[in-house]
Amino acid sequence: MYKLLVATTVLVLLSACARLDHVQISDIDQSQGPLIPISVKVSEAGIDLSALAGIADKVKPNMLLEKLHIPAGNGGSNDSENLATLLALINMGPRTGNPVYDDSYAQDVLMQLYVQCPSGKITGLRSIREADSYGPVSGEVVRLDAYCIQ
Amino acid sequence: MSRLFIVLLTLMSLSGCVSLNSLSLTQVPKDRSHLISASAYDWVFLGLTSQNYFVEEAINKLKIQCQGGKLTGILTKHQTTAYLLVFKREVVASGYCQKS
Repeated sequence: MYKLLVATTVLVLLSACARLDHVQISDIDQSQGPLIPISVKVSEAGIDLSALAGIADKVKPNMLLEKLHIPAGNGGSNDSENLATLLALINMGPRTGNPVYDDSYAQDVLMQLYVQCPSGKITGLRSIREADSYGPVSGEVVRLDAYCIQ
Repeated sequence: MSRLFIVLLTLMSLSGCVSLNSLSLTQVPKDRSHLISASAYDWVFLGLTSQNYFVEEAINKLKIQCQGGKLTGILTKHQTTAYLLVFKREVVASGYCQKS
């Protein structure tokens, strides 16, 4: 029974949950010739630091404070909780998914799309913002699917 | 009392709260005589799913309805309906088909 529980937990931790944030479909032109599907997908690691701090506190109280060489006060576990709150406040505000630490990872998607379409005639563009979520860590994905008119 | 509770629980399970995740609209043509629409959805339990492929289903349905034509003025809605422990993720798209 215990082994089954461990195996199930490992499987759940290893499998990602897909999240869909935004879908946009553009005009589809089927009048100029056959359409060839093309796609570009870029991803960046997103991390919810406050959630991580909360988990770390549950696993080993004050572990993060020790790593950061911050002396723990008399509050014990409260210090880690304060750190988690501080991290949550730093990342406060409207957002889609977990914060990423590279704001230009989706900069070249259009160029990558054109590389796949020598004729340069792109139609049926779908802009999809999604993520593969592993709890506090996620792959924040920008996907562009389209058709290349031959 | 227990019957009332069961009825209330059933009603709560059957009714869903819809949230609109995103909405977009492309340029609308002058000729708006031929409106077509398509939708695709999937069901997820507790939000656990590993794919978003149902979006492609909506695209394919749109393409089939406007073969050899140009589809413009596309309104895309991405919405989620939350039932008890179960979610329905849905993409609804409509547009105007123009054939010359």
